[in-house]
Formats: sequence, C-alpha cells, structure tokens
Amino acid sequence: MQCTKCGNPKVIIKKEQSGQILCKDCFIESIEKKVIKTIKKEKLLDKGDKVLVALSGGKDSVTTLEILDSFRQMNIIDICAVTVDEGIDNYRQDGVDIAIRHAERLGIEHKVVSLKEEYGITLDEIMQRENHKGSCTYCGVFRRTIINKAAREMGATKIATGHNLDDEVQAIMMNYLEGNTDNLTKLGAKTVSNAKEFTVKIKPLREIPEREIGLYVVAKELEVHFDSCPYAMQSFRGEVSEVINQLSEKHPTIKYSTLRGYDKIKNVLKDELKKDYSHGRCARCGEPSANELCKACSFLEELGV
Amino acid sequence: MVSFILKYKNLNEEREIPNENYSIKDLLDELELSAQTIVSKQNGELVIEDMIIEDGDEIQLVQIIYGG
Repeated sequence: MQCTKCGNPKVIIKKEQSGQILCKDCFIESIEKKVIKTIKKEKLLDKGDKVLVALSGGKDSVTTLEILDSFRQMNIIDICAVTVDEGIDNYRQDGVDIAIRHAERLGIEHKVVSLKEEYGITLDEIMQRENHKGSCTYCGVFRRTIINKAAREMGATKIATGHNLDDEVQAIMMNYLEGNTDNLTKLGAKTVSNAKEFTVKIKPLREIPEREIGLYVVAKELEVHFDSCPYAMQSFRGEVSEVINQLSEKHPTIKYSTLRGYDKIKNVLKDELKKDYSHGRCARCGEPSANELCKACSFLEELGV
Repeated sequence: MVSFILKYKNLNEEREIPNENYSIKDLLDELELSAQTIVSKQNGELVIEDMIIEDGDEIQLVQIIYGG
C-alpha cells in the first residue's frame, strides 16, 4: 500500500469516501488545501479582516487557528482569539492553558473570559440548582453572548468557529427531524445577522470530517485538549450522530451529500422561511434582542443573579 | 511469548499477540473501540488500522473524538 499522491509507503489514512490513501505529509497538505478552498469558494475572508477565533483548546478550534494563521502570515488578515471559561471543575482549565500557549506561540491577541467574572456564576454552580434547563442550554447561550461581545471589544470583523462536517450535518438533520425550519435557515459556511452588532460568523472547517481533524492535530503534533466534557450526556445530537455514523459505514459519502443537498436548498429556505426579527435592545444588558430580555439575561433572571 | 506493548490512556501493558496477522483493527475490535474515534501509532508513527502487529511493537491508541 502506498500514498496515492506521492508513492510513500508510510500511509496514515485510507479515505473511504474518495478511495484516496495518503501519507502524513500529503494528508496534512490535503486538509489545509481543502480548508483554503472552502474559504475561497464561500468568500469567508476579505483582505484586512480581523478574525476572532473562538478558541477552546480542543482539536477543532486549534486547527481553525492553525490554518487561518497561514493567512495572517501572508498579511491578508489579522487574528485574535477568545477562550470562554465556563467554570467546569477538572475539565476546562486544561483547555484554557492550551489556548493560552497557542496564542503565545503565534503571538496573537487573546483573552479568556469566565462565566464567573461575566455573570457571577459558574456552569458548575448553575448545575447545582434545582430545575435547571440542562448544561448545554446555558453553556451555548452564554458562550455565544461572550464571543459576540469579545468580537466587538476586540474590533473583529469576523468570528471563526471550529464547526466540522460532522457538526454541520448533525445540525442539518436535527433541525430537519425536529421540524425547526427557523434554525434550518441559519446554518451554512457564513452567517450574517441583520443586527450590525452581531459580527459575521464563519466556519472554515465545515467540509472536514471530525476524524480527519483529530488525525491532523496528531500528525502535526499540535497540543490540544482531548477530553470529554463531564456534562456531555445522551443528547438528541448524540443520537443523530450515531445514526449518521452508522449509515456512513456502508455509504461513505453520505455526510458530504447531506451537506451538498442542504447547500443547494439553503437560499430557497432563507427566502421562503427566514423570519425578519425586529431587533430591539435587551432591557438588562443592552445587547441586541428580539424580546425585552435577551436569552442570556432571561436565564440570569431565572437564576436570580 | 510473542507480545506487544499497548498504550491507551492510562494503560501501559504487555499483551500477547493471539494469532498471526493480528492487526490493529483486530485489537480495536477486541477492546470494543471504534476506528472512527481513535488514531493509532505503531512504534511512534501514525499508521492505518490494517497494519499487522509484530513481536515487540509498541502500539499507542489516541482517542480523538469524545461524545458531547
């Protein structure tokens, strides 16, 4: 067996979806080329952009940072990063430390924002409350709010997240299965909000399978936080992911075809179904909000903080 | 005994090679691990799961995908 690109016998991956067999160097190059292709095809970057990378220290965000940095080195964009410390004991600190080390290594502006400093409560403390709504509900909303705020404070023109092919396909299928057509209109490589306070979001890794991102960081010997969140539990996303992965074994191109199919109907969905939210201001924090209180503040009110 | 060293998370143990042509894929099946969530190193180098484990090999399994 040898690399289908260069003939090197030391191969590290057999891609079921394309039949390609690649050695380490050709694999690394293939991932970087594919991400750059997505960035160009979807027009994710403009010259002079300042991109805020949402950097958890996990494999997806570290890969996003690593590949976007090649654009910084060519003086096309500037990069900064934010890490959200949700306050999860015995889990988050390792990721925060790794994020700090990557930012230092690359010499980029970086800040760590904790839920405790921002809202006076940690995720661990929220989870001790009775009648909580589940960890991921709070984590998602607070994290999004903190990242949006950091983007404005740091003068970023884009927010880059590490969403990969598996994440995106799961989101498409989950929203479809739940009949959530509103959320279905919001997916895609680039999300532009009507409210000017919300920075444009981009997903450069959207076409890279999750396993290949894991292999990329190991092959490149990038330091990442491989661990499971203690609050990760059997979620609907997990169930959908399991079904898609099972189907992929016999139908290795199914994740790509799901994504391609969605991309073909996305514009029609947006034209037909997108709700035009009237954006007012949250009465409590002043962030853009469709309701009197933004989602984060309505949770804070319920929690009494 | 024909054996190899298995490194996985906190595990670092010598294991017997049970039969000829025993591959990393066979090892993953035995450990009930999915090749979808693991990458494998044989004597320090990344390899595909088809590789046959030889006497004296060091096999390191790295879990790259966690639930949630």
